[in-house]
Amino acid sequence: MLLLLDILTTAAILFVVSVGLLAIFGVLKIINFAHGAWLTIGAYCAVVSVRLGLNPWAGLPIAFVVGALLGGVAELFIIRPLYRRPLDAILATWGLGIVIGQLITLAFGRDVQLIPNLMSSTVRVLSVDYSVYRLFMLFAALAIGALFALTIEGTRLGLSARAVIMNETLARSLGIDTDRVRLTTFMIGAGLAALAGVLLTPLTSVDPNMGVAWLIGAFMLVMVADTSYLALAAACLIFSGAQVLVSTFVSPVLGGISIAVLAALVLRINPRGFSRA
Amino acid sequence: MPEDAALLDNRPGWTIASEWRVPAAAAVGAALIVWIAPLVLGAFAANVLTRSMIYATLAVTVDLLWGFTGILTFGQAAFFGAGAYATAMTMTSLGSTPAWMAAALVLAIILPMVLGLVVGWLSFYHGSTPLYASVISLVFPIVVTQLVYSGGLLTGSSSGLVGYDTLPLDLEGFFRLSGLVMVAVTLAAWIFVRSDAGKLLVAVRDNDIRCAYLGVSPRRVQIMLTVALAGVAGFAGFLFAHASGVIAPENTGFLFGTQLVIWVALGGRGSLLGPVLATLAIDYLSASLSGDLPFLWQLVLGTAFVIIIIFLPDGLAGLASRASAAIFRSSKQTRVPRVALAASHSAVETSATLLKVTGLARSFGSLSVLENINLEIHPGELVSIVGPNGAGKTTLIRCLSDGSEPFKGVVEIAGKPIKALTPDRVVALGVGRKFQVASIFESLTVAECLRLARTTSETPSGIGSAPLLSLPTASVEILRLTGLIDLIGFPVGLLSHGMKQALELAMVLALEPRLILLDEPTAGLTKAERATIGAVLRHLTAEAGYAIILVEHDLDFVREISSRIVVLHQGRLVLDGAVEDVVNSETVRTIYSGGGHV
Amino acid sequence: MSEARSDEVLGLRNISSGYGAVSVVKSVTLSVGPGEIVAMLGKNGMGKSTLLKTILRLIPLRSGVIQIRGIDQPDLTPAQMIAWGLSYVPQEQALFQDLSIRDNLRLAVRNDGELGAALDHAFDYFPFLRERLRQKAGTLSGGEQKMLILARALMLRPRLLLIDEISEGLQPSVVDRVVGVLRDERSRDGTAMLVVEQNLDFALRVADRWAVLKMGEIDDEGPCGLEAHARVLEHLSL
Repeated sequence: MLLLLDILTTAAILFVVSVGLLAIFGVLKIINFAHGAWLTIGAYCAVVSVRLGLNPWAGLPIAFVVGALLGGVAELFIIRPLYRRPLDAILATWGLGIVIGQLITLAFGRDVQLIPNLMSSTVRVLSVDYSVYRLFMLFAALAIGALFALTIEGTRLGLSARAVIMNETLARSLGIDTDRVRLTTFMIGAGLAALAGVLLTPLTSVDPNMGVAWLIGAFMLVMVADTSYLALAAACLIFSGAQVLVSTFVSPVLGGISIAVLAALVLRINPRGFSRA
Repeated sequence: MPEDAALLDNRPGWTIASEWRVPAAAAVGAALIVWIAPLVLGAFAANVLTRSMIYATLAVTVDLLWGFTGILTFGQAAFFGAGAYATAMTMTSLGSTPAWMAAALVLAIILPMVLGLVVGWLSFYHGSTPLYASVISLVFPIVVTQLVYSGGLLTGSSSGLVGYDTLPLDLEGFFRLSGLVMVAVTLAAWIFVRSDAGKLLVAVRDNDIRCAYLGVSPRRVQIMLTVALAGVAGFAGFLFAHASGVIAPENTGFLFGTQLVIWVALGGRGSLLGPVLATLAIDYLSASLSGDLPFLWQLVLGTAFVIIIIFLPDGLAGLASRASAAIFRSSKQTRVPRVALAASHSAVETSATLLKVTGLARSFGSLSVLENINLEIHPGELVSIVGPNGAGKTTLIRCLSDGSEPFKGVVEIAGKPIKALTPDRVVALGVGRKFQVASIFESLTVAECLRLARTTSETPSGIGSAPLLSLPTASVEILRLTGLIDLIGFPVGLLSHGMKQALELAMVLALEPRLILLDEPTAGLTKAERATIGAVLRHLTAEAGYAIILVEHDLDFVREISSRIVVLHQGRLVLDGAVEDVVNSETVRTIYSGGGHV
Repeated sequence: MSEARSDEVLGLRNISSGYGAVSVVKSVTLSVGPGEIVAMLGKNGMGKSTLLKTILRLIPLRSGVIQIRGIDQPDLTPAQMIAWGLSYVPQEQALFQDLSIRDNLRLAVRNDGELGAALDHAFDYFPFLRERLRQKAGTLSGGEQKMLILARALMLRPRLLLIDEISEGLQPSVVDRVVGVLRDERSRDGTAMLVVEQNLDFALRVADRWAVLKMGEIDDEGPCGLEAHARVLEHLSL
């Protein structure tokens, strides 16, 4: 039972962290290696809002807005020039991540920031005491996933984004402003990353480099999911299952690399990952 | 005739000795500096620079992989760390007698090479993407780091290994050793990239498909390079373990791997010297500034990195070479080999079936592109395949040259089925393919492209550049008729469209293939150029016994030179026969005026 | 033929464009008047599709001038050309196979508010679409797909319609229908059209004028009529 809850909540956390990266990868066809830095930005938004005396939950919308605005700037000046050079885009975003990390360090210092948890305490679930917050993450993942799905399937922007994902040239020849679609998508993806950063604060220590560890996992999951958010959900479930099982029964250290290794193998067998299924 | 060849050439080839003068002098000079420096530098500087020089050696390996071969890798750190850990673990657990030290050295080189083989096999396969190779190069150091963390006492876990016996050298000794290794590796790399074999790296980066169609498997080149450079990185790890006396998981991690890439990018990828100097400068400065302004420095580096990637992809070395070219107005003097005629081995069995296609079909999902194609080609035939757009012509050519295409039916070249054979293996059966858009190597010169085309007949040297470029008669014909013979030393990027087509044709002919597949060879050519190509093709089949399959839209051209015409329409072969019969047939008229529905 | 006419809808003056090192369209000068249907003929690889993509600004113009209503147009984006009133029927990969018919059509209108009126106009010509809105575009037959593409282009009542080989692979009865639709549209709305074709019969039936593109330049042109067929056939035949 405990295992099952761990798997589900880990999957939820991974999904929340990765969904922003998926949106960007699908529409812009690049890997945003600054994703970890945006997680960190979000977490520090939470730090700032607590310092300003606001309700800790206020950190969520603040982080989303800040993340989106900064994402817009990044897309215009860094991503756009590298449209035809995807490997260089990985490097440039990685550099951007370094720059952001150092700026945060200069502003806030290197130390771990302590902020009050959004929720503490445990609750009894079917004879097991489990963290309320982790269960909340399940809800958050479903909510975010549902909102994301709604946007993609129901709104005009979502339709344009899907068109750009499928065939950008055709979308352009129909008069769709693909530059604007890419910019908007990047901003949403960045906003989601920052949002995820806030949600991570009770689960991990907040310091300028907290995002890097999550970047790799998110990156591998997105590569396996290709452009489908449903495939991302499936990948999160399967891979978190592997991670939890390996951590519990073999070694926690090896559990940490199970996602990366599994993803690499899956991609070797089928370069489009799970999205085919 | 050899006399002809001598007449053709009008530029003398340089001798090898003069080519080596400058780099030899530079290497000796650098070695001298390395030798003297420890007497001048303080202990701190000497310590840091020893490490920096080892890192610079690593940077050279990253530049060879990324700058020259186009493989963006974060994994060299893991090979380095594997070598370092192999050394330290041997010394710690097994002993530090000279015998064990020697064993550690061997292990430090072999273990990373074995890992390199695994990584190479995972990353490079027919159809792999550069992104996937980079992904693997990212995952690999993470795995290695985690393995180190979980190694307990054996690997020292997060504390690392320290206190093992090292080589009996003092600070000066290690400085000189590291420095000389750095100079030696850089020199070796420099010699290699200038040699004929070294051009393979650039070829794989520029156009790996063309490599395959010249009979060279790009995957093998990538894997071999990975394994070799993993060994070099392991050796650097061995040095590092001894010179620093302490190793930790950070030495194997992907963060260190990204550091290397950043240094290479700032120095200038593909310039060898740039990455070396950048590594030395940045690592030294980082250590010196450690006390004062660490974050600002990282910030500056990060910003510089982003700016360089976007605006100056060639890094500071690129900037320097552009500046020096402006100042000294020096042009890149590449050695120009002399063209000679190769001994021709055209063992052509007359009338044996060269190509046999039975029941070939190819579909994409539910869309059927080719259906029930049956075809036989013999030496001496010039067969043109015509048909409206979308008839499946290029797909047919692809199925005839790439056995890994998922087609149904049987395709046999000289009696051997090509199913599952990658293009380089099909080329080995005697097939040459020329693409619709000239598929050549944009970063190389004409001579270098032609020499690469001869790789399977004459193994290129890994040290120098052969002064003679021997080509078969047909290739030389093309070069002469199109005037390319005067442009042998020219960079390909400066050639006109027609010249590029001619070069590609010359390269394909240099393979001396029995069956040549040409996809729209006259696209974009002037009338004169088309006449030239037509004459050559006719000569090749009529007199030299080649077989040619030609996909064309220019129906006048087809009519003039073909011995046979095959008409493809909506994926089916509707006509196959002598030129006059096909040209005058009703079916063809209907198809071309848009009325035909088969 | 080459003077700038302010009553022309589209004017091309010595335009050239291409891919990479090759200029596929070398120097094209052409004029399309209001309500005029011009057929652009030529063998494969001569630059016909590239020409249309250049007019739409999908491919950058290398030299020469594109004029709309006699006024030189500087660098415009495809979105701007379409906003002006240009509509394009691509030759290949023209539909989002995995999206519904409705979504395919929806992507062509600028905002959902205009969708209703646009759909009605589409249904005028091709009523079969009305029942199949939820169907995935990829499940339609080849002919139906072409009709959908045409409907999508006509939906917005364009001023200038660019069509790339719409008759390819169509049954003769469907071809007839398309001829009717195009001529109707011209009569009703005065839409000008540039129709790229390999199918000679179709082209000459629908157009007022023809031009042959050869090696990136206009080789010959003339009005559609009795001698047109023979003249053009010479350019196209073996």
